[in-house]
Amino acid sequence: VTTTLTPRPPAGPATRNGFWQLLRSEWTKFRTVRGWAITLAAVTALTALLPIWLASTATSNDPEICTARGCQVEGRYFFIGPSGTAVTDSFTFVHQPVGVDGSITVRVDGLHGTGRATAPLGFRQPPGTQPWAKAGLMIKASTRPGSPYAAVLLTGSHGIRMQDDFGHDQAGPPAAASQARWLRLTRAGDAITGWESATGAAWTRVGTVRVAGLPATAQAGIFVTSPDFSEGVGSGDNMYTTRTQAAAAFTGLRLTGGTAGRSWTGGLVGSETLVPPAGLSSAGRAGPGRTGKCGPYCHQFQPAPGISRRAGTYTLTGTGDIAPFTPIVDPMHIAFLATLFGLIAVIGLGAAFITAEYRRSLIRTTLAATPRRGRVLLAKGIVVGGATFAAALIGTAVAFPVAGRELARNGWKLPVWTDYALTSGTGLQVVLGTAATAAAVAVLALAAGTVFRRGAGAVTAVIGLVVMPLVLAIVLPLTLATWLLRLTPAAAFSLQSTVPHYSQVSSVCSPYHGCFPLAPWYGYAVLCAWAVAALAGAIYVMRRRDV
Amino acid sequence: MTDALHAEWTKLRTVASSAWVLLALAALTMAAGGLAADVVKCPASCSVDPTKISLTGIILGQAAAAGLAVMVMAGEYSTGLVRTTLTAMPRRGVVLSAKAAVLSACIGAAGLAGVLGSVLAGRLLLPGNGYTAVHGFAAVSLLHGPTLRAAAGSVLYLILIGLLTLGLGAALRSTTATAAAVLGLLYVLTFLGDIGLNGTWQRRIERWTPMDAGLAVQATTHLARQAITPWPGLGVCALWAAAALGGGWLVLRLRDA
Repeated sequence: VTTTLTPRPPAGPATRNGFWQLLRSEWTKFRTVRGWAITLAAVTALTALLPIWLASTATSNDPEICTARGCQVEGRYFFIGPSGTAVTDSFTFVHQPVGVDGSITVRVDGLHGTGRATAPLGFRQPPGTQPWAKAGLMIKASTRPGSPYAAVLLTGSHGIRMQDDFGHDQAGPPAAASQARWLRLTRAGDAITGWESATGAAWTRVGTVRVAGLPATAQAGIFVTSPDFSEGVGSGDNMYTTRTQAAAAFTGLRLTGGTAGRSWTGGLVGSETLVPPAGLSSAGRAGPGRTGKCGPYCHQFQPAPGISRRAGTYTLTGTGDIAPFTPIVDPMHIAFLATLFGLIAVIGLGAAFITAEYRRSLIRTTLAATPRRGRVLLAKGIVVGGATFAAALIGTAVAFPVAGRELARNGWKLPVWTDYALTSGTGLQVVLGTAATAAAVAVLALAAGTVFRRGAGAVTAVIGLVVMPLVLAIVLPLTLATWLLRLTPAAAFSLQSTVPHYSQVSSVCSPYHGCFPLAPWYGYAVLCAWAVAALAGAIYVMRRRDV
Repeated sequence: MTDALHAEWTKLRTVASSAWVLLALAALTMAAGGLAADVVKCPASCSVDPTKISLTGIILGQAAAAGLAVMVMAGEYSTGLVRTTLTAMPRRGVVLSAKAAVLSACIGAAGLAGVLGSVLAGRLLLPGNGYTAVHGFAAVSLLHGPTLRAAAGSVLYLILIGLLTLGLGAALRSTTATAAAVLGLLYVLTFLGDIGLNGTWQRRIERWTPMDAGLAVQATTHLARQAITPWPGLGVCALWAAAALGGGWLVLRLRDA
């Protein structure tokens, strides 16, 4: 048995042996190989051009359709909310004017679902009462859909909430939908406070919100609504949606600060008569989706909202939602997945940066000069990660605004989608995130190259880890796909999402439409964990074996 | 030519990793196909093609086929063995043909094992998941013409992917570049075709890229809905392989090793 000892070099001046020196030597190796410089330029070009091309041809998947009745996306109508973005705003409302100072009180005698479609075979049946069905009190600028409001409400299974202006949601105390509950809203100027009570005697404050743009005479009243239920199973776009309906009884309705001589009036706010988008059957109920299965626009259930009054008790039946409008398709994410071609080049580059040294035996020289293997790999990781980050960043910074303009030209525009501004939070997330993903993937490839010592094996392994989950996710059933995109490095592609998801809006997250299960930077953390673990493993392996 | 075949077979046989890669080909094909057949349930997705589901594993298995082809051609450039090979057999066409023949035979054998295993897994697992006569499905069987076409076509597809990679390897002369190019061509292009935002381009990708067109041969139901019918699809894939081999042969002839 022979033991191989690498003799330590004599201690020289610190400047010659420092980490900077090592970085410089690795950088020199990197930049002087012509093929690698060309590959780096290819990364920039592919990253810039392919998303732009994909965006410029993006004409399918139902962008905005406008008719005389209004505009709709993906078969759903939307209205313009107080902040100028698209909102859903349809519910059953019994109301009367309220002045600058006033309050409204009522007892909600339970909320329950009264209608939904039967799911097609194999789909989970919708719950009887939707988790985000709503019944409660609202003060709203007017009955115009999309106007500012604040509401305190009982939900199907999320307790008491205080919500305002579509995007904002505060949790109140938990309460079962079947329980009777007292609710109160008080108005003082544009400050609105929500209260709740189990008995009508002792009140708990749920929250206070400021509603900008509330006129001196607003509308105060009781409302009920119940959102669509969506469910996806299987792979691809195999999902279905049904409208649902809920009812609640209200007793003891009392208003102070109203206008003398006015009584309660009722009606439907934002009631939509569905106009089926192009390509669907005129009934607009059970039209086939793109795959010919029951697609995203199946409305087999036709709700009949209404109001009835008997001996001081109002019973309201409502359908719809009061929430931000979240489209299913994320076109920018899909366009940016074209950066995968650049990523393939990055993987090749990261692997070649070390496997070329093994092939040419340069690794012996490298390790003779710097015997500490961990430092060598670290320096290589910094060089290749930094170079790919810079190359990809130039590409994404060009691609994002231009692709955004192309998408807007093809109908993917405000108010439903964002304006794709480079300096917006979303813009920075996509642009920096995609470049950071390239850097981490390069480090992962470097580590794989160190372990395998062969380019082909390393490239195959890293593509298998990073790209293959995406391919499989659209073939495999949704549950399996969701787990793949949580655990594999492919989770990082969630950084390319541009459609926000709200916890108070139930929606189907399908990889087919560009939705990922993890929040953007959490997904990136998963990739980084893989890269760090792989690099640690590579350092361990490299220390253990001879060159 | 016999000597060339013998030489290539000896080179392939005596490297330990060849056997492992071929084993991986068969195992990945079977495992992924079996998994897909196990998780798909009929009332939820009765519209799937049971034969195609059983053969899902080819999507993974082809990576191993490409891997073997990378070792056979581009691998010789990384070790410098190619100089010895070309000194011994100076006729480039003969070398390339011998490599193609040996590679095809090996991938064919391993692919056949993987495909037979997948069909068997589909036959055993799918009826338990609701793909029964009640829902209008017969058990997956090779006696059924379209299923036989799908099975045989899948083996041919694996061979074509191997030849495509062989040609690319001769042209690119680097294992890293060849592996990246093939996997990008197969997976990324197909992925973008699946999720893309333009129907016309999606259809073009389904029709003209090696993986989408080649795997059309696996379809046994809803043939009218396919972007391209089974045999012409495999033909498109064969054109890709022929073009890559032709390009590889040209580079081999024109450039010094």
